[in-house]
Amino acid sequence: MSEETEQEQQARRQDYSEKEKTEIFDGEFMPHVDSMYNFAFRLAFDEDDAKDLVQDTYLKAFRFINSFERGTNAKAWLFRILKNSFINEYRKKSKQPNKVDYNEVEQYYNSDDVDESFTTDLRVETVQHMIGDEISGALNGIPVDFRTVIILSDLEGFTYEEMSKILDIPIGTVRSRLHRARNMMKDKLASYAKEMGYNK
Amino acid sequence: MSETMSEFSAWFKDTFKKCYCEQGNLIDENQFAEIVQLVLDNEADEESRSIFEQKIRTCVKSNMSYEKEKSIKLEIKKKLCEHRAEMPNNLVSTIRKSVDL
Repeated sequence: MSEETEQEQQARRQDYSEKEKTEIFDGEFMPHVDSMYNFAFRLAFDEDDAKDLVQDTYLKAFRFINSFERGTNAKAWLFRILKNSFINEYRKKSKQPNKVDYNEVEQYYNSDDVDESFTTDLRVETVQHMIGDEISGALNGIPVDFRTVIILSDLEGFTYEEMSKILDIPIGTVRSRLHRARNMMKDKLASYAKEMGYNK
Repeated sequence: MSETMSEFSAWFKDTFKKCYCEQGNLIDENQFAEIVQLVLDNEADEESRSIFEQKIRTCVKSNMSYEKEKSIKLEIKKKLCEHRAEMPNNLVSTIRKSVDL
């Protein structure tokens, strides 16, 4: 992933009129508010926090609107702001006690020592029998950065390249993280199915 | 995009080779699942996709693994999409007010 220099960023900076700002905000940013809220809610697990995160994202988007190039991928741009707000601000004041240091989890899962041999035997019929609540519960049970790639890819339909830009990680890491995330999720679903006796 | 594709193309060839023994039998289902996901996510280039499709036409185990991965992915996606959080009614107006529009 190539790093953009400050001069390059400066050169790309726009100088929109107030009318243009309003047009961009209403026409390109606001149509994504529902997706943004869902993303925020799946990160924060709390309605008020999700609402605050989305509001904060839109405020920042408006404040930095001159950094946005009209006609480019507004949804990816907004998701990137929301993700950064979540990491930099929300996590620090989270209402939920953060039991896991995510950096440690991340380092562990991205290291070469990870045992890749997931042996989850999850049947298609098992997933078909489950309800949305149970699937969401499994998604919520995996570490946040792994949860994030599943949301971005499977729910919001972003490409690996877009996800790489939103998350600031190489595209190869997107691929491997998604694979691990899906394995974690299958593992959760299989454990749940076993607990509930779905496999009998 | 072409750089991205070539990056995955090399990864695909290397990983695909590791999935099969000399006799051409699937021996690493976990790595194969990673390949399947790349294909299902529409991130494999044409050449990789063609190698993949040829294999699943001739190898029963690979085909079953592909179909299973595809069905689970679709089912999870469908249920997660149905289970979306409802956006608060006043969120749009609150945002517009906060940026003074």
